Amino acid sequence: MAQAERKLKELKTAQLRHEVGARRDLVVTLNTRSQPRLIAYGDDFLLAKLPPGTRVVYPPPPLEPLPDPDVAIRYALLHPENADPLFAQLNPNMRVTIAIDDISLPLPPMQRPDLRERMLNVVLQMLADYGVDDVHLIIATSLHRRMTEDEIRRMVGERAFKAYWPDRLYNFDAENRAEVVMLGKTDHGEEVWLSKRAAESDLLIYLNINLVPMDGGHKSVAVGLAPYQSLRHHHNPATLRDSHSYMDPTRSGLHRTADRMGKVVNRSVNVFTIETAINNRMYGGLLDFLHKNEDRFSDWDRARLGAFKWTLRNLSDGLRREMLRRYAAPYGMTGVWAGETEAVHAKALARVFQQYAVPVKGQSDILIVGVPYICPYNVNSIMNPVLVQCTGLGYLFNMYRNKPLVRAGGTLIICHPLRDEFHPEHHPSYVEFFHRCLAETNDSMELEKSFEAEFARNPTYIHMYRYGNAYHGVHPFYMWYWGEPGRQHVGRIIAAGCEEPEVAARMGWEAADTLDQAIAMATSELGRSASITYLHLPPLVIADVE
Amino acid sequence: MSVHNGNAFRAAAFYDLDGTLVDVNLLHVTAYMLANVAQWKGRFGNLAALALSLPRLYAAERHDRRLLNVAMFAIFKGISRDRLLVLGEEYCERVLMHHFYSQAVDLLEGNRAAGLEPVLVTGSPDFVVAALARRLGVQTFAANRLAFRSNIASGRLREPIIAGEEKARWCEEYAARKGLRLRDCWGYADSYYDLPFLTALGHPVAVNPDRRLLATARDRQWPILRFDPVRAAAIARANDGES
Repeated sequence: MAQAERKLKELKTAQLRHEVGARRDLVVTLNTRSQPRLIAYGDDFLLAKLPPGTRVVYPPPPLEPLPDPDVAIRYALLHPENADPLFAQLNPNMRVTIAIDDISLPLPPMQRPDLRERMLNVVLQMLADYGVDDVHLIIATSLHRRMTEDEIRRMVGERAFKAYWPDRLYNFDAENRAEVVMLGKTDHGEEVWLSKRAAESDLLIYLNINLVPMDGGHKSVAVGLAPYQSLRHHHNPATLRDSHSYMDPTRSGLHRTADRMGKVVNRSVNVFTIETAINNRMYGGLLDFLHKNEDRFSDWDRARLGAFKWTLRNLSDGLRREMLRRYAAPYGMTGVWAGETEAVHAKALARVFQQYAVPVKGQSDILIVGVPYICPYNVNSIMNPVLVQCTGLGYLFNMYRNKPLVRAGGTLIICHPLRDEFHPEHHPSYVEFFHRCLAETNDSMELEKSFEAEFARNPTYIHMYRYGNAYHGVHPFYMWYWGEPGRQHVGRIIAAGCEEPEVAARMGWEAADTLDQAIAMATSELGRSASITYLHLPPLVIADVE
Repeated sequence: MSVHNGNAFRAAAFYDLDGTLVDVNLLHVTAYMLANVAQWKGRFGNLAALALSLPRLYAAERHDRRLLNVAMFAIFKGISRDRLLVLGEEYCERVLMHHFYSQAVDLLEGNRAAGLEPVLVTGSPDFVVAALARRLGVQTFAANRLAFRSNIASGRLREPIIAGEEKARWCEEYAARKGLRLRDCWGYADSYYDLPFLTALGHPVAVNPDRRLLATARDRQWPILRFDPVRAAAIARANDGES
C-alpha cells in the first residue's frame, strides 16, 4: 500500500486520546493550603486566594492535533458524509461560492497558517483542477464588522488573497438590498434571507472552524450569510430565553430556529459543508502555565507568571492591549469533516465535546468567572461594558450542559475592571445603546420593543457598517439579549474589581472593589456555608452538570 | 411642523456642507465666483486679488472661523445680487452636484426616511446653498447672507454669521421653534471649529474629520463617518460583482 494511502487510512480510524491520566483532577476543591488562583481580568490577570471549599473547574488538556491537517482535509473532501465527493460535484461551467467564517473565531486568533487558509488552498486547487472559474469567496460576517484588508489577508493566506481580492474575495454586506434575497419561510413563518450570490450558486461551500459547540451546523450559512430580516427571528429575547444552553444545541432555542432556517436554505441551495474542530491549546510556549492547576506550578511556572504579571502591570494601557492583540494561539486541528450539513456537524460536535466537557456534580450558590481581554466581537478592538456583559453573562454562564453551574437565584461574580470605554469606529451604536437605551431600561423585551428597529434602520450606523468597519447598528441589542438566559436565572450579579461602579449600575449589576469584597457581599446574603465554584479560564471548558 | 410622506419629522439632522457633504470648501466657491463674475480682464484681476489675500485668509482661518467668513465675503463687494444668484445656480449645477459624496446622498435620504428632517447649517453663501437645497429637496437651511445696498453687495455679512457657536445657537432656536428636542437631533460636521455645533446636539457625528476633530470624536466616542469616493466605488463594484 502506498504511504499516502496508508496515512489516510490511519487518519480515518484514528482515535484521539489524551495522555494517560491527563483528565484526572479537573474539578478541584480548595483548602487552606491551596495556592492563589489565576483569574482573567480584562487586560490583566488576578491572582486571588479563594475561600477554602471553593470548587475549581479546570479545562481538559488539549487533544492531540492531527499530524497532517492538509492530508486530513483532502481525505474529508474525498470521503464526505452523506454527499458525493467534492470533485464529483464539479464541472467547468458552474458557479461556486465559498463562504468563510469571519474573525470572530477562534479566540485568540490562531497562528498562521489559519485553518481557513489550509482549507481554502485545498478547495481552490480542486476547483482549478476541474476547470471551475466562476468562484467567489465571501467572508460570512452577517452583521459583524467588515474585516480589514490585512485581517483578510492574514486569514485566507497570500495565495487566495492575491488571486481573489478584492473583486472575488469580499465581506458579506447585509445592507446591500441587491445582494440579499428571500428564499422562503419556515413552517414557523420565519423569513429566510440569504446572500444572493450564494443563493444563485450551483454549489455553496462553507468553511467552518468550531471553537465551541455553539458554532457550525446550520448556524454557519443561515446566520453568517443572512441579513437582519433573518437574524431577528432567533436573535431576540424570547428565543434566547429558551436556550439552555447555547453550548448544548439540543436544548437551544437559538439552534432550533437556525436549524429550521438552514433546512430551508439547503432545500434551495446545494450546500457542501466543511467543518473543523480544534483543540483548546490557547496558550503555548512561555504562556502554557495558564493552562495549569496552580497547585502544580513549578518554580519555572511561577517565575514566568511573575514576569508576565510584571510586564502587564508596567505597560501602558495601549501597549498592553497591543501586546495581547498580537498574540496568536497555537491551536491544533483535531478533526475535519465534509459533506451534508447535519451529518458533518454531528461528527464535529462530538469531537468538540470530547475536548471541552468536564463532568461536575451539582450546582453551587455562587459562580465566579473572569472575563478576559477578548471575545468574539472585539478582535483588534476594545472590550466595552456591553461586551463584558455578553461574555460573562452570555458566554461564560452558558458554558454548561444539563444545568447551569450556579443554582437558580444564585450569585454570579464577574471579574473585570468594567470601564466606560468603547471603540468609536467598531462599536458606534454600542455607545448610544449604553448611554441612552440602558439608561431607560435594561429589560430586554422593553429594549427590543422600544429601540431595536430604530437602531437597525439608523442610516449613520448602516453607513459605518457598510463602508467603515463598524458592527451593525442592531448588534449591541443582540449582545444584550445574549445575556438574557443568565439574567433570568441568577438572582444577583456582582462585578468584582470594578473601576467604574456607575457602569455596573447601568447594567443592573452591583460593584465590588475586589474579588474578596464581592465574595463577602455574596456570602453575606447566602451565608458562610454558601458553595462557590470558580470556572477556570483560559482555555475554555464546558461543565456537564449532574 | 414639517412633514415627510405624510408623517411629522420626529427630529432634525443638521448637516454642515463644505467638507462634510461635498468635497469642496468656501475658498473654492469664492474662486469660482470671482473667475466667472466679469469680463476676462476683470476675472484675472479678481483672482489675483484673491491670491494676494490668501495669507490674510489663512491667518483668519487659524484664528477664528467667523473672521474667515467675514474676510472671504468681503471679496464679493460690488457684485450685483442677480449676478450672484445666477452664479450660485451655475456653481451648484456645474460643480457642487459633481462634488457631492454619493454616500452623503444615501445618508441624507436614509435619515429623512427615518424621520429626521434634513437641515443644512453652513458658512457657505446663501445664493449657493439655496440652489443646492432645492436640488436636494431640503426645505430649511442656515447660510451666510451678504448685505446689499441697491442690489449691490456691500461686502459685509448680515448677522447672524453662521460659524462656530452661532451654528449651535441657530440650531437651538430652530429646534425650539419646531418643538424638537436637541437631544434627539443628529449633527454632521468635519471641522474642529464645528465642535460647539456638534456638542449642542444629542447625536454628534464626525464626518471626514480633521485631525483635531478626529481626536475629539475618538475621545468622546462619537461615530466617525468617512465619505471616501474611491472606497465607495470599490465596494459598489464588488457588490455589483456579487449581484
